[in-house]
Amino acid sequence: MKNIDNRKYVIALLFVLIPITFIVRLFYMQVVDDKWKERAAQISENKILTYPSRGIVYDRNQTKIIGNEIYYDIKVVPRQTKNTDSVAFCKLVGISMEEYTARMIKARKYSMRKPSEIVRQIPPDEFSLIAPELYKYPGFFEVARTLRVYPKQIAAHVLGYMNEVNKGDISKDNYYKSGDYIGRMGIEKMYEKQLRGQRGVKYYLQDAIGIATGEYENGKYDTLAKQGKNISLSIDWELQAYGEKLMQNKLGSIVAIEPSTGEILAMVSAPSYDPNLLVGRHLGENYTALYKDTLLPLINRSINTAYMPGSIFKTVMALAGMQEGVITENSSFACNKSLIGCHNHPTAQNVSDAVKMSCNPYFVSLTRRIVQQGKSNNIFKDAAIGMDIWAKYVRSFGIGTNLHTDFPTETRGNVPDTKYYNEHLNFNWAFSTVQSIAIGQGEVTITPLEMANLAAIIANRGYYYYPHFIKDIEGGDVPDIYSQPNYTMVDSAYFEPVIDGMWRVVHEAGGTARRARMDSIAVCGKTGTVENFKNINGKRYQLTDHSNFMAFAPRENPQIAISVFIENSGFGGTWSAPVASLMIEKYINRTIQDTVKENRILNANLIPDEDDIIRK
Amino acid sequence: MRTQDNKLFSNIDWALLATYVILVIFGISNVYSAVYNPDKPGLFNLDTEHGKQIMWFGVSLFLGVIVLFLESSFIRKYAYWAYGATMLLLIGVLFTSPINGARSWFGFGSVGIQPSEFAKIGVALALARYIDINSSAKTRKRVTKNLGLASLWGLVPFIQKNKGIALILGLPCALVLLQPDAGTFIVFTSFILVLYREGYAGNILLFILVAVIIAVITLLVSDSSFLFPIFKIKLSGNTGIILALIVIAGILALLVKSFILKRNRKSLYRSIIGSFIVAVIFVNFVELGYSTILQPHQKVRIDLLLGKIDDPDGKGYNINRAKAAIGSGGFMGKGYKSATLANASQKHVPMQSTDFIFCTWSEERGFVGSLFLVLLYTFLLLKIVVIAERQRSIFTRVYGYCVGAIFFYHFLINVGMAIGLAPVIGIPLPFFSYGGSAMMSFSVLIFILLKLDSERKIVLK
Repeated sequence: MKNIDNRKYVIALLFVLIPITFIVRLFYMQVVDDKWKERAAQISENKILTYPSRGIVYDRNQTKIIGNEIYYDIKVVPRQTKNTDSVAFCKLVGISMEEYTARMIKARKYSMRKPSEIVRQIPPDEFSLIAPELYKYPGFFEVARTLRVYPKQIAAHVLGYMNEVNKGDISKDNYYKSGDYIGRMGIEKMYEKQLRGQRGVKYYLQDAIGIATGEYENGKYDTLAKQGKNISLSIDWELQAYGEKLMQNKLGSIVAIEPSTGEILAMVSAPSYDPNLLVGRHLGENYTALYKDTLLPLINRSINTAYMPGSIFKTVMALAGMQEGVITENSSFACNKSLIGCHNHPTAQNVSDAVKMSCNPYFVSLTRRIVQQGKSNNIFKDAAIGMDIWAKYVRSFGIGTNLHTDFPTETRGNVPDTKYYNEHLNFNWAFSTVQSIAIGQGEVTITPLEMANLAAIIANRGYYYYPHFIKDIEGGDVPDIYSQPNYTMVDSAYFEPVIDGMWRVVHEAGGTARRARMDSIAVCGKTGTVENFKNINGKRYQLTDHSNFMAFAPRENPQIAISVFIENSGFGGTWSAPVASLMIEKYINRTIQDTVKENRILNANLIPDEDDIIRK
Repeated sequence: MRTQDNKLFSNIDWALLATYVILVIFGISNVYSAVYNPDKPGLFNLDTEHGKQIMWFGVSLFLGVIVLFLESSFIRKYAYWAYGATMLLLIGVLFTSPINGARSWFGFGSVGIQPSEFAKIGVALALARYIDINSSAKTRKRVTKNLGLASLWGLVPFIQKNKGIALILGLPCALVLLQPDAGTFIVFTSFILVLYREGYAGNILLFILVAVIIAVITLLVSDSSFLFPIFKIKLSGNTGIILALIVIAGILALLVKSFILKRNRKSLYRSIIGSFIVAVIFVNFVELGYSTILQPHQKVRIDLLLGKIDDPDGKGYNINRAKAAIGSGGFMGKGYKSATLANASQKHVPMQSTDFIFCTWSEERGFVGSLFLVLLYTFLLLKIVVIAERQRSIFTRVYGYCVGAIFFYHFLINVGMAIGLAPVIGIPLPFFSYGGSAMMSFSVLIFILLKLDSERKIVLK
């Protein structure tokens, strides 16, 4: 029976082969393949994200202008619900039966054990009514989250708003997770990285039902949430609020800058809105309403609209002319109305007179000398050379250039140069073709921010700092570019005659901005009255002029430079100049003496009707 | 029958006893970790599973001592009585009320006794007794010749000639299927190994291997269909297997024609045709059995093993959690009482103290621990083979192989299930899974072997 006895070896072999198979398999599962470790982590570990509170935003005097407020989401774990009285629940939390049903179906589909959102962002006052009743509904519970609150209800355009991240945001920056909020406009967007802080993560072990049973690895991998940085803006909230009040029932903008630093003190765009509208549950509908409004309240006119500057631009012409040596401060040009239209006034004997009287022919003649310097015998070639010289001067005033302002979208004005005209005009051109640029009409455009910056340059006698909102970041990393002066091409000595003219604009009889005069403060200003047109059904209509004014004050050691632009309201001196003077008075004196002037502005409704706007 | 050599302490196999004790101690410490409850930290607390397991170990040792003081002749003499008693228990248990859908337990208060565990002892003793009494070289030879791979119908003459063996094995199989308890039924099929060793079952191992391969292929393709290449006819997977079998039979026939002497060809042709018919019947039987006999949950377990379903959080929950627990143990493991999955407070791995006890062990001890345990079991199995082979007594040899086969099957299926190489069948891992009946029956199996082995030097007949 030998061959049968050999069978013991077969059995022994079997008893060895199977364990070897097991060992190989176990080695693969436990040592080689990471799949099961990942799977185990997925099953047994979970993490809670802890959200840092977002940085607080203060104004220049440390008044809170953006804060955080706790809102409540109501969530549900479908598995834990028991005999929900859905009618009463809907009534309690204020949603319709259909919404409730739809959300419950979605929640069940997502997970029976994990929480899903049923109602979001209930403000604290409403939640205080819900909270005592919520215990009646097992499976439903609240989750607190902080949202932005804008306590002063000002500067909506500057501060911006936040909303939920979209797929694009998540793919651009993997910090964000679905459901996160992100700064979408303004300061909230610009300083998102500083304000948002750093999320923390807490890992824990969970049992088969998903209930936390303990810390994972004694918290070795946990990170604490890092609080967002608080920041201070250069905005003066009282001045900002006052500006917004003045600009009620008007279209336009106010930009005020501190010339010695480039800090923006106020930036008003009218019409404005309460920034708190774009927070919380009603964000979507409010945004839609604002978006559809024909007066375009969502546009920040101060920084995203370029207008023709009108006569304020003449100051640049005078400065460039003197620097270029084509005039002196005592040059005189006759008021030749055949050149270009003008109002009746005495002949300007010098630059100061010309600025004060805002003589159109004077500045056309002056600018001709800059553009047509006779560097070529061919008048067209000569204009081509001169146009680029002119454009260089204008750009050195920050116009049409990047002002590096800490605002997410910055529009630039247009400074036409040789290239521009060659592209836009299909015939030979010389200065006479484009001469209206000398008085700030035609192809040259400039944003209200650039206008205020121009006022700051004149106040500084020749240089500027990039206009900016940031004053201080917790931990102190305000970009260096904001503390470096930028010089214009014009020497500071040439500024005095222009400043003198601007002073006389406000203070002397015959000046165009007498309404800006105050006893207490020496204001230097320049009005602008901007012609504008609109194409309606293919026909070009001239509309009521825009009223424009730029100023700085006081004349010596200026503290504020300002531009005021009010659309379709008429002469610069009529509306913009008094608004500017009230702002200056408010900023420097903190109180308004001339309440008549103030009331006139507050009571004025300058929003034009579509029909009236066309100048008859 | 006493001789000088019959001294228990000098003849007992201390290595086997030590292996047994080591397994039990590790087993209890592992149950302690698996069910650890900080509110009941006491090792001997009888409210806990580890406490009860220790108690059952004590009872087992008591039974073991009794066994050691019995006479071997007594054990042999009363082998059928033991068989009869356990069969009566198996019949009796069918009249209890079902727990979890099966009538497997006699309840005495909080203590339950599972007669199918003890039936293994009875069957092993009875089989040993039967073969011992009826063994003669003549019988075995005849049967061996008749039972080839080719002739499944050899089973019929086998049963005719060995009615006793068929009865001894068939009765408990039928009784546990009535509970129903598929796991224990499969354990009873382990005695095929014993019959193989004893020369009863020819090339049955090769036969089983081929059958398993055909069954797996059948189950994999049975519900699919394919396009027959040339004729563009859509055929079921089943038809495909039969076509493949025709091709294989044809190739074999050609080989026979080319290489075999003419006089031997005839019987081989017959074998090929016979095997082919058997295979075709088997394919259909497997498919039919799968779709009609198996319970839905058993089908799911087979589909999961074959990779036909991938549902880690649903149908595959148990096995997925078990594999995650084992796989996440890594090389060194997570440490004692530090399992994050196979742990009573986390409850990710179901039945982690009984059927899936291996998960706790290998999650906490890592590959090093797994390797140690597998090697320990391998040592136990080989030790049993060595013990069985050194017997002059046929009774003891057959009994030894029965014990080896039972342990092997439990190890094969329990560990294989946990690591995803065997379908989910709930049978305990000897000395590791929590459970009193299993602890007692496995211990008694070992102690009887120790006792019989200690008397190996006595000439019996």
